[in-house]
Amino acid sequence: MIDDLMQRENYVLAKKLLDVSHAKQNAIASNLANVETPGYKRIDIQSDFEANLRKAASSNDVSEISNLQFRTVTDLSTPSVRADGNNVQIDQEMLRMQKNAIQYEFLANYTSTSLSRLKTAISGRV
Amino acid sequence: MNIMPGIDSTASALQAEKLRMDIIGQNIANAHTTRGPDGQPYKRQTVQFEAKLLELGRDQNGNMQTAQGVNVRAVGTDESAGPLVYNPGHPDADEKGMVRLPNVNLTHEMVDLISASRSYEANLQVVRTSRQMAQQALRIGKA
Repeated sequence: MIDDLMQRENYVLAKKLLDVSHAKQNAIASNLANVETPGYKRIDIQSDFEANLRKAASSNDVSEISNLQFRTVTDLSTPSVRADGNNVQIDQEMLRMQKNAIQYEFLANYTSTSLSRLKTAISGRV
Repeated sequence: MNIMPGIDSTASALQAEKLRMDIIGQNIANAHTTRGPDGQPYKRQTVQFEAKLLELGRDQNGNMQTAQGVNVRAVGTDESAGPLVYNPGHPDADEKGMVRLPNVNLTHEMVDLISASRSYEANLQVVRTSRQMAQQALRIGKA
């Protein structure tokens, strides 16, 4: 029974989004580490992941969400302003990092709140 | 999976940027050194960065997770000739009174120094954010 509770859509979705957020921070760290490496191309989570997740979420099938894969891809579309071909823009990466951190915080808080609500329901104490 | 996302990439970057600053400091310190251990004027040192692939382990589906760090490929020597100035009183002056100065350009070095310190700061910010994320992950279920 408790397994069913943890397999609810909101937990599965939050878990997947936390994973993506973690991977995104990894990618941003790589980009900022290589901000001055000649020829480096920035990496990011594949851009169609969000659309895929939205589609999976609307299908009402939890396993579809948990089976959804995401990949880190090299971003060749961003133009490079530097002669050596490096296309990392430090300000953009910093912004992405802040945005991603807030998203992670929201998801962590959301998961905690959901769990504490569950605890309240079980124990009957507020 | 690492609890602090991106920390391996950032660690290598901090190390590389610090080495770069060391080299810049060495160049500035020797901006007027006309005679090194080999009897020649000091030659400017340069640092070359390259990306290195870090393997972070596998995710639940068995796919290898990777990130990229930065590696100092080589510390090179800038072999270009430094300026020749007329200073017959200098102990390293040749028979015509000309002295070969190091090929260090202080303006270039200062620009490089600022760029290195900004990159270092950006990477420190990554450490702070990653730590925050790790703490939030550890607090899940506590509140």
